[in-house]
Amino acid sequence: MSFKNICKVFDKGNDEIVVLDDISFFVREKEYLCIMGPSGCGKSTLLKIAGGIEAPTLGTIEWKGTEYKNGIPKQQLKNFGFVFQQHNLLEWRTVYKNLHLNLEIFNLKGEEWEKRIMEMLKLVGLEAYPNIYPHELSGGMRQRTGIARALVHNPDILLMDQPFGALDAITRKTLSYEMLNLWKKTQKTMLMITNSVEEALLVSQRIIIMNKQGKIVYEIDNTIPVEARNESIGSNEEFIKLRKKLDGIVHDIQK
Amino acid sequence: MKRQKKKTIKLANVLAPLIFLAAIIGLLEIYVAVSGIDARILPAPHVIFGKLFNRFGRDLSRDFFYTLKVILTGYCIAIPGGIGLAAICSQSKLLSKAITPVIILMICIPMLTVVPILVLRMGLVIQVRIIAVVLQALPVICLNTLSGFRKVESSKIELFRSVGASRWQIFTKLIFPNAMPQVFTGLKLGCIFSTIAAMGADLAAGNSGLGTKISAYSGSLMTDMAYATIIVVALIGIILFMVVAEIEKKIVVWIK
Repeated sequence: MSFKNICKVFDKGNDEIVVLDDISFFVREKEYLCIMGPSGCGKSTLLKIAGGIEAPTLGTIEWKGTEYKNGIPKQQLKNFGFVFQQHNLLEWRTVYKNLHLNLEIFNLKGEEWEKRIMEMLKLVGLEAYPNIYPHELSGGMRQRTGIARALVHNPDILLMDQPFGALDAITRKTLSYEMLNLWKKTQKTMLMITNSVEEALLVSQRIIIMNKQGKIVYEIDNTIPVEARNESIGSNEEFIKLRKKLDGIVHDIQK
Repeated sequence: MKRQKKKTIKLANVLAPLIFLAAIIGLLEIYVAVSGIDARILPAPHVIFGKLFNRFGRDLSRDFFYTLKVILTGYCIAIPGGIGLAAICSQSKLLSKAITPVIILMICIPMLTVVPILVLRMGLVIQVRIIAVVLQALPVICLNTLSGFRKVESSKIELFRSVGASRWQIFTKLIFPNAMPQVFTGLKLGCIFSTIAAMGADLAAGNSGLGTKISAYSGSLMTDMAYATIIVVALIGIILFMVVAEIEKKIVVWIK
């Protein structure tokens, strides 16, 4: 998947606000790519464009050999799974029914899909709670349900907009490790927005950094070996070096 | 332990209003006995209840069923009407803005003033009373439902866009279930408005119905029977309200 010269302009009264300014980058198949940047730099808008929620003002998206000018068309959305910052679950549906929603919209019927719901719940450790309503779950469990929902229709690419941003530090760390394991198990392409340097270094293979003007200013390859990405990653030399570098960049772009 | 606590809370919720009601009746009983007020102005509660039990079958049952039929028929028409109108209005902001003042106007008009005009056109038929109930209950159901339809979080809309949902799917799977708490507020208010409208229609086009009975009993100074009839009317409204509230508890499970 590649983004070519993506611009997004919002009309605000008589003013035009440029949120994304000539963004071009690509995502490799089975890659875990993280996007970082200061608040208001347009990273969420970029992800919404990638997920077909919004259309770019200018630019094209290339997906599976086809270039799309007006954003990802409806019929291609089955290939994408979207995880929101807030769990975004439907309160009137149980955990099972929340996952079922995607199957209903994509018209995926049959026993194998019903079975897949339970498989996805098992993958995120919620197989014991299919008939529970979201208000009865903890924050972490709700977010896990959101991740399972994004995976249930078996998309090729998972788009995550600060999926752990609303969680406490401990749950956030636990879910980061779980996300890494999930990526190893499913081998899906993952595009994730995060505001945590440690989180990005733990899970990603590549990190893109945007500035306040909505431009990509850095692209960093995460060279930490996958085997070293565990509880002791903090003492890994490569991790320390990259964290120092990223902290410096993040500090610079805030100016 | 938790289940026991839940049971106790449930019992307390049932007993609290009953005890409060019993206290009011008790105080009224004492006031009537101590003040020596004329029974034609304010009869003692035990006299009113006595009349209600003894004469309901003979004097009130026919009018009770007539009024109940008017209320239920009108209410049952108002439910799909109100929700349907709200669904149509929710599709366009302009349409919603155009219709809302008319709906508020309809809520404000007392049926007592409209029914005589309807009678002039249609005569003393039951349909006039049913129309009165519909005209009173439909706007309140519509207004509440419309408010529910408008209160959808933008992130939820984005969720549906991310899976390419159609407008119909967004309405049936998101907007409508999301509005259920407000829909039920409208339905509960609709019960009360239906009962009030039926009474107004009875008083204005009186040849049968509990409202007509209240008017007739008051006119012939049978105050105890008038109060007994008022209790029957209140009971219809309360029971209808409680039935809808119970259905709400079964459907809107995510709000505690």
